[in-house]
Amino acid sequence: MKRFAFPAFAAAMLLLPLLPVPDFWITQSIYIGLYALVALGLVLLTGVAGLTSFGQAAFVGVGAYAAAYLATQSGLPPLATLAVGVALAVLAALVLGALTLRMSGHYLPLATICWGLALNYTMANMEGLGKYDGILGIPALSLFGVDLGTGRALHPLVWAIALVAALAVVHLLDSRPGRAIRALKSGATMVEAMGISTFRYKLTAFVIAAVLAAVSGWLFAHFQRSVSPSPFGINKGIEYLFMAVLGGVGHVWGAFLGSAVVRLTEDQLQVLLPKLLGTSGNFETIVFGVVLVVVLKYAPDGLWSFVGRWRPAGAALRDWAGAEALPKRAKPAAGERLLDVDKVRKQFGGLVAVNDVSFHVDAGEIVALIGPNGAGKSTTFNLATGVLPLSGGAVRWRGQEIAGRPSRAIARLGVSRTFQHVKMIPEMTVLENVALGGYGRTRSGVLRAMLRLDRAEEKRVFAEGEEQLARIGMAERMHELAGNLPLGPQRLMEIARALATDPALLLLDEPAAGLRHHEKQALAGVLCQLKAEGMSLLLVEHDMDFVMGLADRVVVMEFGNKLMEGTPAEVQASPEVRAAYLGTEH
Amino acid sequence: MKLLRKTIAAAAAVAATTAFADVNIGVTLSLTGPASGLGIPVGNQFKLFPKEIAGEKINLIVLDDASDPGKGVNNARRFVTEDKVDILFGGSITVVSAAIAPIALESKTPQLSIAPVGVPPEQERWVFRLPQGFTVMAHPIVEHMKKTGVKTIGFLGYTDAYGESWLKEIEKQAGAAGIKVVAVERFARTDTSATPQALKLTSANPDAVLVVASGSGAAMPHKALIERGYKGKIYQTHAAATPDLVRIGGKDVEGSFVVSGPAVIAEQLPANHPSKAVAVDFVTKYEAAYGKGSRNQFAGHAYDAQIVMQKVLPEALKKAKPGTPEFRAALRDGIEAMGRTILSHGVMLWTPADHWGYTNETGVLLTVVNGQFVVVP
Amino acid sequence: MDATIASILALDGLSNGAVYALLALATVLVFAVTRVIFIPQGEFVAFGALTLALLQARQVPGTVWFLLVLAAAVAVQDLAAGLRHGQPAGRLAMQALRTLAWPVAVSLLAIWVAPKGLPLLAQAALTVALVTPFGALLYRLAYESLADASVLVLLIVSVGVHFALVGLGLFFFGAEGFRNPSFWDVRFSVGALTLSGQTVIIFAASLALIVGLWLFFERSLAGKALRATAVNRLGARLMGISSSSAGRLSFTMAAFIGALSGLLIGPTTTVFYDSGFLIGLKGFVAAVFAGLASYPLALVGALGVGLLESFGSFWSSPYKEVIVFSAILPVLLWRSLRDPHGEDH
Repeated sequence: MKRFAFPAFAAAMLLLPLLPVPDFWITQSIYIGLYALVALGLVLLTGVAGLTSFGQAAFVGVGAYAAAYLATQSGLPPLATLAVGVALAVLAALVLGALTLRMSGHYLPLATICWGLALNYTMANMEGLGKYDGILGIPALSLFGVDLGTGRALHPLVWAIALVAALAVVHLLDSRPGRAIRALKSGATMVEAMGISTFRYKLTAFVIAAVLAAVSGWLFAHFQRSVSPSPFGINKGIEYLFMAVLGGVGHVWGAFLGSAVVRLTEDQLQVLLPKLLGTSGNFETIVFGVVLVVVLKYAPDGLWSFVGRWRPAGAALRDWAGAEALPKRAKPAAGERLLDVDKVRKQFGGLVAVNDVSFHVDAGEIVALIGPNGAGKSTTFNLATGVLPLSGGAVRWRGQEIAGRPSRAIARLGVSRTFQHVKMIPEMTVLENVALGGYGRTRSGVLRAMLRLDRAEEKRVFAEGEEQLARIGMAERMHELAGNLPLGPQRLMEIARALATDPALLLLDEPAAGLRHHEKQALAGVLCQLKAEGMSLLLVEHDMDFVMGLADRVVVMEFGNKLMEGTPAEVQASPEVRAAYLGTEH
Repeated sequence: MKLLRKTIAAAAAVAATTAFADVNIGVTLSLTGPASGLGIPVGNQFKLFPKEIAGEKINLIVLDDASDPGKGVNNARRFVTEDKVDILFGGSITVVSAAIAPIALESKTPQLSIAPVGVPPEQERWVFRLPQGFTVMAHPIVEHMKKTGVKTIGFLGYTDAYGESWLKEIEKQAGAAGIKVVAVERFARTDTSATPQALKLTSANPDAVLVVASGSGAAMPHKALIERGYKGKIYQTHAAATPDLVRIGGKDVEGSFVVSGPAVIAEQLPANHPSKAVAVDFVTKYEAAYGKGSRNQFAGHAYDAQIVMQKVLPEALKKAKPGTPEFRAALRDGIEAMGRTILSHGVMLWTPADHWGYTNETGVLLTVVNGQFVVVP
Repeated sequence: MDATIASILALDGLSNGAVYALLALATVLVFAVTRVIFIPQGEFVAFGALTLALLQARQVPGTVWFLLVLAAAVAVQDLAAGLRHGQPAGRLAMQALRTLAWPVAVSLLAIWVAPKGLPLLAQAALTVALVTPFGALLYRLAYESLADASVLVLLIVSVGVHFALVGLGLFFFGAEGFRNPSFWDVRFSVGALTLSGQTVIIFAASLALIVGLWLFFERSLAGKALRATAVNRLGARLMGISSSSAGRLSFTMAAFIGALSGLLIGPTTTVFYDSGFLIGLKGFVAAVFAGLASYPLALVGALGVGLLESFGSFWSSPYKEVIVFSAILPVLLWRSLRDPHGEDH
């Protein structure tokens, strides 16, 4: 049933002009297609990547004005004007993205409002672009000798482009770069630790959204046959976001649903509201504003979540049997000095969190870092993996200095970690979360993903993911949504994900926290098994029993200082350690 | 799901379709947005449009385009495809009129534009303008400047089509009269202050400044010039010939010059002025509905649209039935062949070669005396 | 450009900047207490200006009906919620009464008094009395139930509220523009510059508000309690601080400041139902410069925006908005690098 939904929908939209429907319906349908293209970009940018943008209308303007100017001033064929418009939009997106995507939190949407306004006013005031009156007399699209006009002949082109774009986005989201983009929302730390550059993928999502908007603008210019600054201003930008949110900003088809609902109601309201209110004017904004607030309050997932409930879930496939294994890195020889933490220091203003702490991890060992709360254990971890910058000291990995490098570079060297608070993507399945770890070992890019050329590599990644899940005993849960798991299995999944990066050293930050007794035992068994297979581990832990039965060496920290180091037996016998935990003066 | 929605929409549309024999007129006006000062009075006058002409019911469908040509295009498309209008009135601003002209051509529907608009030659056939062109309106201003010895002028106007058209026109006519344009400053309709621009103009100190803005927006730049200490003559365009200029401008607009069509100063027209009777009728009826002193330039054009329809409709009805392409063609031909017609704004003479119609003598120069517009002797 | 022109431009810029400062203060205030980035702040300014203008014209301002509609909506919302929770009728009635009391009273007063034509100051007071309640009512309608949402969601809600307010403003006020008389018609000459009395009032009001707000939030317990709700709602509630009261109070203050700004800008510009957005946005740029946290920095930022706008429009009048809004991008970048937000868990 699900398999036929898309082809049926596509056929319906492409063949609509052949049916004896009124011309006005065709016009509306073309507008819906145009809007859906932009909303699609917003689904990718805002819904998936979590970057709210109010300025997409400005990119539509870039594509539209490029098409308008070149079509009226030069003899360039329409495909060339499309290429120019898209190129300009990409350029603008790269510049604006470089500037604004490093902004965090709520500063980004504010920046998009500002550059949307700035771009709009620029277009409205440039002499060559007709200023506030814009450019008139744009010819209708004529491709390969066929004049498409502005009605029934243009409709299939618009919808073909919109549907192809939607498919491309769907393919993109179900791929290696897609997983990276979907992970952006969960915060930068985990994503970077998997070797993924968050900035690069934010920029990618941003540029793709800009390209979609520019294509929409090109079509718009040839459809409306005139361009002026008004449709590319901040109000339209807000409206596009509204369409995406109403339809369901996290779902590709939400873009189409939202565009259709907004366009059709806007049209009806334009005639209805003045009659209702007794005066003429554009009152649709009232309804839109109110509906936006209501949707955010009561249905933040948008309308598609209601529709989506009716669609039967696709059966989970397992089609990667026999896939070739991913390349593994050469394991270090037993006993080689892997991690050398050398007098590291971290100061936050006047507070010294980590005070010249030194220890090391050799290949084939399990080292545990313990200490009372506030000792600085997680901070030390973050220093060693590049999440926090050092205030002093050095960290060496197999002889190389790694202090000051970004965490994704360190991840690529073979250091992988889990986190104190589980960082995962609840909307993805367990297997997809683990496959995220395989990012560094695969190569498919955005274009290959959109064209579905990455299937072979995907099978290899999923096979690897399943293997890692089997290693920790969770293979039968691989198709479940990660958000549905209880805490214990979530932690195990994080370990599987870290294993999928094929690390030489695994850093586990409180892996047993919040686990029940038998879950801890199972975890201890897994870790022992990993060590037997040659993996090296550095643990931070609170639970004494857990640690003592597992570790080869234990490092004890207190108030940022290293208290002592030794075998579990030595540490348990030490009076200083006991005093540190129980608080006796020493 | 979408199909269901579309079916409901279709059913509603069918239910709302009007009867065949009525004459449908599609009106797109800028009732909101930056140009609303121009559109609202037109809308008000259209509320007084007769319900019946020559025995046929008139169905006037008014939609707001919010000063956005895109919306104007949308309205026009709806008019010609859904409402099957016989004639288009609109837009109330140049950009919208220009944007919907191609649709008038495509659908072969005559368009009476309520804004002065230039269109490419192939669209000229179906477009007729009710307002005076910029050439006609600039004429009295330049004549007065010549008479009073103005040698240099400054320009303070909108960045949009209205401002641009005036700039081109004044440069042409002033240049021909030997008057130099020494400073050109622009501002947007939505600006809240024109002080820096006024500053630049005052320091250039031309003999006269032409302010090109509309409605209540014309007061702000005017006051800015006075505040900056400008002492020369200030001229305003016909879009500022409204009570709003005086209401907001207050003392600062006293003694300034405003060009206007005859409609606004109906009572002051000499008895032998051809438009006197019609203009007085317009002013009386409009002020009876909307209050004394509410008369303005733009509503006059809407009134003139009524006169045109009253003259042309009976003839066209003899040739075809409303709602048919033949009827629309008959209307167009009828308007073109209308001959000398007395409108509130002057004597209109559209010919196949000229769809603008007014002569150079149509514009009247007024000055503000004690808050009233008075003809300059 | 010589010194005279530069000083005139500077004065123009500072006067505009002082108004933006008032808006920036209100924006910072609302964010500091509720974490809402209140985009519609500019609408309060427009409503204040238009209300005074209509009172000046001896008409009953549309604000009255707008206020009554909003109050009714809130009362109905509370009633529905109360019925759903099975609260006693008497209590529901008291709640509705408290919601409607001030709006109805002030509306009746306005309807009675408007055609009579009061002196300017009385009309100003009435304007403020009419517009200030909008703040708490809007908060209760749109934001209160979303108080725990992320800043981004609240921002989108603000955008929705802005859209609705502009449309409703068109309906209740019409599409025409108005200008108000000045409160103090004198002109002071300071060298080559002329300072209008109105500008002096604007400066004085801005300064007084900054000092007042700073003292309130930094030095008084009530102010600190309000700030606490933004930092940790649950913790504040456990300490007995009602976060909904905090929200309502801060929105009321924002509406008050907005109405005041509307009274003050009236003479210098023609205000339309949709003029508020751009004015609010510029005040908002200044608030961001202040990191949405510091009042003195908000003032500095606002004056900076005013100066940038003034000199920018002298240098190239069509592109002044581009200059102002592009200039904020590096500021935003600097700001976001300085206060990196913690990861949303």
